[in-house]
Amino acid sequence: MHHVPSTYDGITAGLAVLVLLSEFAMLRAPLLRSQVRLYAFQSLVVASLAVFVAASKHIDELYVLAALSLLLKVLLVPGLIMRLLRDADTDLAGSSVLGVASAILIAIVVAAFGFFAVGSLHVSSSSLPTSALSIACAIVLVAFVLIILRKDVVSQAIGFFSLENGVSIASLVVASGLPLIVDVAFLFDLLVAVVVFGVIMRVHHLRNDTLSTHDFDRLRG
Amino acid sequence: MEVVVGAIVVPVEGVQALQVLTILFGAPLVSGVIAHFEARLQGRRGPRILQPYYDIAKYFRKETLVTEESSWVFLAGPIVAFACYLTVPMLIPVLTTFPLPLGYTGDIMGGGFILALAGFAVALAGAESGAPYAQLGSSRAMTFGALIEPTILFVIFAVALITRTDLPYALSATIRSSASQMVRPSHVLAAAAFFLVVLVDTGRIPVETHSGTLEFGMIDEARTLEHSGPPLALLKWGSTMKQLILYTILINVFVAPWGLASSQSLGSVLLAIVALLAKAMAVGGVFAIIDNLFSKLRLFKITEFVASAFLLAVLSVLVFYAGGG
Repeated sequence: MHHVPSTYDGITAGLAVLVLLSEFAMLRAPLLRSQVRLYAFQSLVVASLAVFVAASKHIDELYVLAALSLLLKVLLVPGLIMRLLRDADTDLAGSSVLGVASAILIAIVVAAFGFFAVGSLHVSSSSLPTSALSIACAIVLVAFVLIILRKDVVSQAIGFFSLENGVSIASLVVASGLPLIVDVAFLFDLLVAVVVFGVIMRVHHLRNDTLSTHDFDRLRG
Repeated sequence: MEVVVGAIVVPVEGVQALQVLTILFGAPLVSGVIAHFEARLQGRRGPRILQPYYDIAKYFRKETLVTEESSWVFLAGPIVAFACYLTVPMLIPVLTTFPLPLGYTGDIMGGGFILALAGFAVALAGAESGAPYAQLGSSRAMTFGALIEPTILFVIFAVALITRTDLPYALSATIRSSASQMVRPSHVLAAAAFFLVVLVDTGRIPVETHSGTLEFGMIDEARTLEHSGPPLALLKWGSTMKQLILYTILINVFVAPWGLASSQSLGSVLLAIVALLAKAMAVGGVFAIIDNLFSKLRLFKITEFVASAFLLAVLSVLVFYAGGG
């Protein structure tokens, strides 16, 4: 089973790993602001991965996708959340259920599960190395860990958005030749989520003067 | 008649000895350059570049004081540690691309064990002094050493998976073989994890101030507080050697195994010595910059840092198994 991956496979898998690492960094980030920045960075890496695939495999549609996701996920969405944060003026997330080290260890276990579960499917693809699919699955699972462990609306929203980043990497692996309209539909789904989460953030903050979801389990009249 | 330096062939045993001698006599120089550079970085004039040599020479001339409570271990510790640091350079590619006769007597695990033995000997000597700060330092060094151990283990796993051996020479040769080896994710991740390990092990970040004089903030430095005279000289010299050994492994095994001698001609061996020291100084400069850019963490935040290093090492192995390796 020992083979050296080609330079192309190495670089693409490396970029996917970078996306996964920024997902882990979100688990660690104590400031809401830094979490949003990490999300912007992560989306930038996803966009550059799309550009790299487009340039090497001559799939022109991916350029459009990369440009769209650059516009939406690197500029628009982070900018929007930053504005909401400025209004809320809360800086610290500081609401993780577990300590950082334990959270990362749990996420490592979950990511390992994702790796081996998808690895045993043997999905092969023409555009990206198979390992990218495993990494994409790990990204989605770690995003779930982030959503579960954090107890504030912003982290959960960021977790959800970054989950979409994992899904777009997976879509690059299994369906990079897919009609552009499907990929764009994905992006607009994300926009809907942004609007929903934006409304939740704002209303929750207006009513309860906090971003924590801790109060959600109490019934109110 | 003129003798062309490049044409002289150094016997294999000579190269082997030169590996050890380079580390032995080059280490204080590298430390001196880094200390000088760091001082400049902070806007100070800084000590002379050769200051570590003067310090070591001075300590050798001083008398040795031993507390009444301590036994022979107190004096034996520094000697054992120094012997360990002299042994490791035989096992790793310091100057040559081709393995030297003693290069196969120990793998990367063996080198790790010998380095750990040195740390253990110093910690034991510190604990034997009976002084509170030295004991505190020993206890901390052993505790945090144990925390970083799983990361080192996974880095070794990654190396073993990539090369199917665990010889440092083999990884060095594998990386030199092609560009695709250099960018493969498992190698990049393992190298990054090892980089973090070296940061911790040379007392840079996350919690330690390696040049501080405040006893409470010390870890490695505190262990040697009670030593004096020649044993202290050996300890100081040993710690510069440990630093250069770790840099050498990082450079010649993981990151930039270029500039090594591929033949036994005197010219290429000399060139390799210069290249190694220059690369080590560059790496030390990078470490000094990192050290000065980031604030220290609180002592018990060290688990966060170690967890990230561990994450990189584990991912390296996982990515390899997922086939992207």
